[in-house]
Amino acid sequence: MRTAPSQSRLGKHVAARNNTVAPRKTQLRLGSDAALDRMQGGLCGEDVRPRGEDLGRIGALLAHLGLGLATIAAITVLCTRILSVNAITAGFAYLLGVLAIATSWGLAEAVVASIAAMLCFNFFFLPPIGQFTIADPQNWVALFAFLATALIASHISDRERKQALEAKARQKETEQLYALSRIILMTDPAQSIGFQSAQHIAGIFDCPAVALYDAKSGEIFRGGAEDLLEVEAKLKQVVMQSGSLQDSAAHTVVAPIILGGQPIGSLALKGLSLSDGALRALLNLVAIALERVRTEEAANRAEAARQSEEFKSTLLDAIAHEFKTPLTSIKAASTSMLSDSGLPESGLSDGVPLSPQFRELATIIDEETDRLSLLVTEAVRMSQIDAGKVRLAREPLDVADLLRRVLSHFESKAEGRELKLQVDAGLPAVYADKDLISLALRQLIDNALKYSPPGSPIGVTAGLKDHRVIIRVRDRGPGIPERERERVFDKFYRRQTTKTHVPGTGLGLYIAREIARAHGGDVWVEGEPGSGSEFCVALPLQEPEKPSAAQEREK
Amino acid sequence: MSTGRILVVDDEPQIRRVLRATLTAQGYEVQDARTGEDALMSVRNSRFDLILLDMNMPGMGGLETCRSIRSCSEVAIIMLTVHDAEHDKVAALDAGADDFITKPFSMPELLARIRAALRRLPTSIEGGAESIRLDAVEINLATRRVISKSGEIRLTPKEFDLLQFFVANPNVPIPHSRLLQAVWGPDYGNQVEYLRVFVNQLRKKIEPDPSKPRYLLTEPWVGYRFALPAKIAG
Repeated sequence: MRTAPSQSRLGKHVAARNNTVAPRKTQLRLGSDAALDRMQGGLCGEDVRPRGEDLGRIGALLAHLGLGLATIAAITVLCTRILSVNAITAGFAYLLGVLAIATSWGLAEAVVASIAAMLCFNFFFLPPIGQFTIADPQNWVALFAFLATALIASHISDRERKQALEAKARQKETEQLYALSRIILMTDPAQSIGFQSAQHIAGIFDCPAVALYDAKSGEIFRGGAEDLLEVEAKLKQVVMQSGSLQDSAAHTVVAPIILGGQPIGSLALKGLSLSDGALRALLNLVAIALERVRTEEAANRAEAARQSEEFKSTLLDAIAHEFKTPLTSIKAASTSMLSDSGLPESGLSDGVPLSPQFRELATIIDEETDRLSLLVTEAVRMSQIDAGKVRLAREPLDVADLLRRVLSHFESKAEGRELKLQVDAGLPAVYADKDLISLALRQLIDNALKYSPPGSPIGVTAGLKDHRVIIRVRDRGPGIPERERERVFDKFYRRQTTKTHVPGTGLGLYIAREIARAHGGDVWVEGEPGSGSEFCVALPLQEPEKPSAAQEREK
Repeated sequence: MSTGRILVVDDEPQIRRVLRATLTAQGYEVQDARTGEDALMSVRNSRFDLILLDMNMPGMGGLETCRSIRSCSEVAIIMLTVHDAEHDKVAALDAGADDFITKPFSMPELLARIRAALRRLPTSIEGGAESIRLDAVEINLATRRVISKSGEIRLTPKEFDLLQFFVANPNVPIPHSRLLQAVWGPDYGNQVEYLRVFVNQLRKKIEPDPSKPRYLLTEPWVGYRFALPAKIAG
């Protein structure tokens, strides 16, 4: 049939039709025609179609009309001259012709062809032949049949075409989104993700202008050859309102990027037409990319910090070990020498006792070794504190128990001096690191023993005040004058009067106070000069106390 | 005649040197090893009375070496620790060591510990019971074994001696000094903190709830008391 040649032209004309749609499709609005227009107008549509395109459309239309009429004429000729068929056959032939024209081209051409077919049918086949008899009802049936066919066929073919185009457009969008997803998740860590996203979107989607606003950093990244003017205000507005803006005049869409229900930025696209689904998918991709980079950065920072901490702690441990190792050998040797009894059966000296001078020298070695050892321990601890590396292993501690244990450490060292302990009844537990608090308290008691006259007693009390446990260590030494009360806590500070006699590093009080402060407490000194010093340690309680209960306990 | 065979295990040559010198002078027979692996080999080849084991060694560390030795021998082990923290001491004892000493130490103190570690109380107590049952734990005094629901618990010789002393003196407060001198020797009189670590270790092993002791009780200021139930399983 005649459909064969017109089908071969069908392919060409489907392509040509992509540029010739809008005005003639006014009677057949299927779905969002604006979207359809844009799609069929090309994904990089310009604002104003050039005049050349309009002329092309009109030309194509006229061509189709001409061809349609020619087809009808050809059918007529075929049916009258060449084949001599009857009216019924001719009617079917015209119908087929109109169907072919409607399928290949469109409604307008089909309507014109219908009318032509009806006229030919009337003139050549309906009696009286050779005349137009418009009054005959058969005419109207024929015309109606032709028109109906034209309508239905062109409608169906139109719809097919549109769906095919839409499917193609969707596929293209999907491919673009896929390409974007692949490239955006393999970003170059050197450049900012916002910048790269904008560039990729512009590139993959062939978009003239892109602007990406990152709400967290407040930066705006641009992509594409053109520039989006005055878009900053809109980008920010969209984030605040969480709704998108569309400006059809400028062909711009500004939409928020939402992650986890919260807007984290916004995206402006100019001259790009995407279906709603595709736009949402694009925004999600950008959201994921932004968040992924942020999470990675945070994880990297945390890992770097942890490694640095670990390195520092390993370094400090290594330093401590390095110093203590030779000290071990020295102390073992010097104490061995000192303990040698000089008796005949003693192995070291073969029965010859150490001379007093030798003994004195060995004693010096031993004492200085102790001093070095203490210095190393305290210096390492101080470094740990300064580096913020002290990690508290806090647990609830019974204050009375803690103090008893600390004091028991001094039973031999106290050399018969009185160590009085008095703890208020019903004192609540403190939440502290057992080893470190014991160390701090030992330091204070050690100081009290060192800086007070031999034989004088040391008093340790513990009570509750202002929701804190206050432990006081009181001695009967010379006391500390007002102006030095802060300075004694400085690193390496030793009081002038005692510098020559009393062993010590000057770090003890500093360390004790830092330990207390790390717990949220403090250490300070009170007491009248001349009547001794009272060092106070304040430690917070395990839990916040209710005011009424606290008042009850405060005697 | 030697007072005992000692194996010194430390990666530091100077420490091995000074210990060899002083221990030999005290009449001990000394061998040394540089690493945990060497120590294990030496233990397999010869018999030792005591091992001085450094906690901080590269390769097979001190704790692992201690565990390995303990799994096949009852030899006395004293660990040399670097830090004075309680958890290091507890780790040493948990790994099977009999005792620990913190570097740098004074030689007389180490010698006292060596003597204490080599000392063993006589196995039988006159007029005492053969075995004792405490809740889920059965203590056989003759064979020096402690059996609980989960199996046999190993007590170090010191821990066992301590327990034995408690069992022999039940229900009375025992001062720290008396406990220390009876089990560790006359050089130990007032190291209360030291004793506390061992009592806690013992509690971990025989008390149903170590944090709330029912048998090994603390007598504040004085010492400890062993509350023996009236009925003793024979």
